[in-house]
Amino acid sequence: MQNLLKILLRYSNFLVFIALEVAAFLLIGLNNAAPRSSMLSTANEVVAWQHEQISEISGYFSLRSQNEQLAAENAALRNALCAADSTQESLPLQYTTAKVVQMTTDELHNYLTINRGSKDGIVRGQGVRNSEGAVGIVRTVGRNYSIVMPLINTQTHLSCRFTKNDYIGTLQWDGKDSRFAQLADVAAHMVVNPGDTIVTSGLSPVFPEGIPVGIVENSVLKEGDSYHTICVRLHTNFKRLKYVEVVQNRHQQELEELANGLE
Amino acid sequence: MDWSKQIGRYVLIMLLQVLVFNQLQLWGVCHPYIYVLCLLMMPITLPLSVDMLIGAAAGFIMDIFCNSMGIHMASCILLMYARRYLLGLIVNDRERLNEQIGLHALGLEALLKYVVLLVVMHHLAVFSLAAWSLSHIGFVLLETLVSSLITIIFIIAYNALNDK
Repeated sequence: MQNLLKILLRYSNFLVFIALEVAAFLLIGLNNAAPRSSMLSTANEVVAWQHEQISEISGYFSLRSQNEQLAAENAALRNALCAADSTQESLPLQYTTAKVVQMTTDELHNYLTINRGSKDGIVRGQGVRNSEGAVGIVRTVGRNYSIVMPLINTQTHLSCRFTKNDYIGTLQWDGKDSRFAQLADVAAHMVVNPGDTIVTSGLSPVFPEGIPVGIVENSVLKEGDSYHTICVRLHTNFKRLKYVEVVQNRHQQELEELANGLE
Repeated sequence: MDWSKQIGRYVLIMLLQVLVFNQLQLWGVCHPYIYVLCLLMMPITLPLSVDMLIGAAAGFIMDIFCNSMGIHMASCILLMYARRYLLGLIVNDRERLNEQIGLHALGLEALLKYVVLLVVMHHLAVFSLAAWSLSHIGFVLLETLVSSLITIIFIIAYNALNDK
């Protein structure tokens, strides 16, 4: 017993080192597996406030392009209004506009923080889009701020479809270029041409059907491969993201409960 | 050097890190973590286990700002552990380390060795933990090279300016 104590004392520094490292790795593991605590991330009030102040200042430098984007969106909305069929069943959707207060685009696990939280009805798993196309999925919700996992995060998977023949694939990101993502699970017999349009499939309650995602930049089919390697040019310009809309599906809870009931 | 000065410097460096260096999105591979300056330049007066706890706390705070729970914490604990041994190897006169580690106490050659080795180790740890796979190894190495270079220049410049 005494010897054991002696050994423990002798290597106490090393043991403390190991214990602390184990704690840190547990945190990393927890963070990858479950939704992170909103206190200990950029959804934290103080941290998010700080980011908001910075984006407040840097926002002035992109006013021109923001205005152009808003004008284009207005035009598109007006067109959609004219074209809308009055007999169409009203969709159970509600959009909440949010401002991006912090965002990274050049890491492997990019995140963006938006200034809407649980008090605005944001719930984990809701889709986020902007006027250009799909942006990402809400990952962590704080009271006033939320963290969104964008399409350009290597952990994001989004079910998409080709508009030309409704063929389904999964959109992923390889961590290289924020302008391009990769579409997986498209079988070799499919004919894929550059310029094909990709939209959300509507198969998950995250996004409604038909939100623009991108267009096919190029596709490679190697000898013996059973799936295409497709590179998709994303509509959303993540480098200039300032305002987004959170898609709140009023039936989301019901859809999720149904899905959970099946398991 | 008293501890209020250490904490004051930490706050200033963290402000610089979060407000300036974290905003750099140049070239996609440039994420200098200059906050390690505070850990590297801390005098060796406390027991190693307390040093590692301080490292864990500093890394944890950085993690909150970077949305990377645990990654900076693990790297900073490793940094604090390695630093004690490295100093033992490159410095003969232990007495000098009690006041302040820097150009005056170490001399240029030892300081360069100390800063370069530990900064590269810390940055490599952060970027490989964030990538969490070997498939991005080229990217991780490039990121480490560019970011460490900037951090090292910053820390050496800080020491040169503070040299009395």
